[in-house]
Amino acid sequence: MSEKRFMKGNEAIAEAAVRAGCRFFAGYPITPQNEIPEYLSWRLPEVGGAFVQGESEIASVNMVYGAAAMGTRAMTSSSGPGISLKAEGISYLASAMLPALIVNISRGGPGLGSIQPAQSDYLQATKALGHGGFHAMVFAPNSAQEAVDLVYEAWEYAERDRNPVMVLMDGCLGNIMEEVELPPMKKLTDEDLPEWSLTRRNGRDYQGNITPIYTEPILEGINTMAGEMYKAWEEEDVKAESFLVDDAEYVVVAYGIASRVAKEAIMALREEGFKVGMIRPITVFPYPKKLIHDLDYSRVKGIIDIEMTIPAQMREDIELQVAERCPVYEYGRSGGCLLDDEGVYDAIKAIVTGGAD
Amino acid sequence: MKTSFVFSGSGGQGIMSAGITLAQTAMRMGKHATYLPEYGPEQRGGSAKCTVVISDDPIVSPLPRRCDNLIVMNNLAYNKFEEDLKPDGLLLCNASLVSEPRQRDNITVISAAVDDLAEELGNAKAANIVLLGILIGATGIVSEEAFLQSLEDKFKAKTPGILQLNVAALKKGISIGKPYRA
Repeated sequence: MSEKRFMKGNEAIAEAAVRAGCRFFAGYPITPQNEIPEYLSWRLPEVGGAFVQGESEIASVNMVYGAAAMGTRAMTSSSGPGISLKAEGISYLASAMLPALIVNISRGGPGLGSIQPAQSDYLQATKALGHGGFHAMVFAPNSAQEAVDLVYEAWEYAERDRNPVMVLMDGCLGNIMEEVELPPMKKLTDEDLPEWSLTRRNGRDYQGNITPIYTEPILEGINTMAGEMYKAWEEEDVKAESFLVDDAEYVVVAYGIASRVAKEAIMALREEGFKVGMIRPITVFPYPKKLIHDLDYSRVKGIIDIEMTIPAQMREDIELQVAERCPVYEYGRSGGCLLDDEGVYDAIKAIVTGGAD
Repeated sequence: MKTSFVFSGSGGQGIMSAGITLAQTAMRMGKHATYLPEYGPEQRGGSAKCTVVISDDPIVSPLPRRCDNLIVMNNLAYNKFEEDLKPDGLLLCNASLVSEPRQRDNITVISAAVDDLAEELGNAKAANIVLLGILIGATGIVSEEAFLQSLEDKFKAKTPGILQLNVAALKKGISIGKPYRA
């Protein structure tokens, strides 16, 4: 049985996590993600889970490491400055091959930046969540509903891959309330515990060792396996939306909140006869390379990267696929100033009518 | 049909609560709604603003630059957001705190001393509900019945007097707003 509720994106993520089987959260407060720990602080105890407000971000992410090692579905959440502090722990999760969900409800940066929303953590999320050259799958929902759907599946990917998964969403979507349909509670038993987990539950014996440090030939093997896993993600796990791309002369590329504002502008421009479409990455890692690479560049006259951050951070990923077959433009707002439908409409129109570069 | 509302004032004036209740009521009526709060780092007394979009269809962008209806609870909010109101829009002012709203374009201006009106009904805290009543009366964006249901849900855990006060505030507001209905 599904049920509809009017929820903040942050609350929707928290409830979806509980329904996905998450039974441990540790985190440290930071705007604009505070509704996640606030919600879980009462919700997790209701379902026999545990909530910890850690003494710091670093402590929290390492508590998640401990819980994940026991086979518990565990998560933490933060915003840019806190994710930087958790970077060491996220790298350790990847090294120890532990599944976990990391949520970044992003705000203006760099540094302490601003508490207002921004999409300024794309590069951090997709290129280097920590040291050591690892990746996590990064989901970038553009609505509370999509956040629910992706969080609900997050541990299936994380446990399949024995690797952390990130949900990257800006503070705007985290704080917007909209209608969501919630999925049923996943019923997990001790039988569902990963076989590698260090648990003594269900009459099991001690299973072995989980470590973030290895001797050199073993580490090289682990690095090689990780590389193969990232390639497999590109083949099998890319999620993206194509909107009115088939006849488009200009293609917007936007994810998260930017994609919603851009879609509204594209719909208005289509009514005026401008052939504009959009590719929306839903996974920003693995990136929908093929969709951008395989566009018909005899028709497409330009790609427009729209992000709520300046300078645009996705641009290099786009340019690698465009390979100089058409110009790449960018438009954004930043530092906590929000994109709006008229601003995006004006920016796209200026580009398609040749009034901007 | 997509309609946007900006509620603005300072922390403690019930701005966020008004926005959420309106959006929830629209959803109750089978419409689509988004609510976006924006506020500064202050715990209280800072500026408060929220944007509500209500539509018969699923809402694509929840971030309109300009709004169809601007509700301002004090001078600061009026001066900051007045230019975000579309031509032909509705400007709803708390006359208890907004001194002199300017008439411009073809906007409709409703100015009512909602702080004083709520005080007369028993508690100045219900000023935001008087204001919502005016908005509902003037626009018909949600039905009185649906909003009364939202008030009942919102205040069911409180003493009955609080619900009665808010119902009276709503009805007072609707009676002020209705003559402006297009």
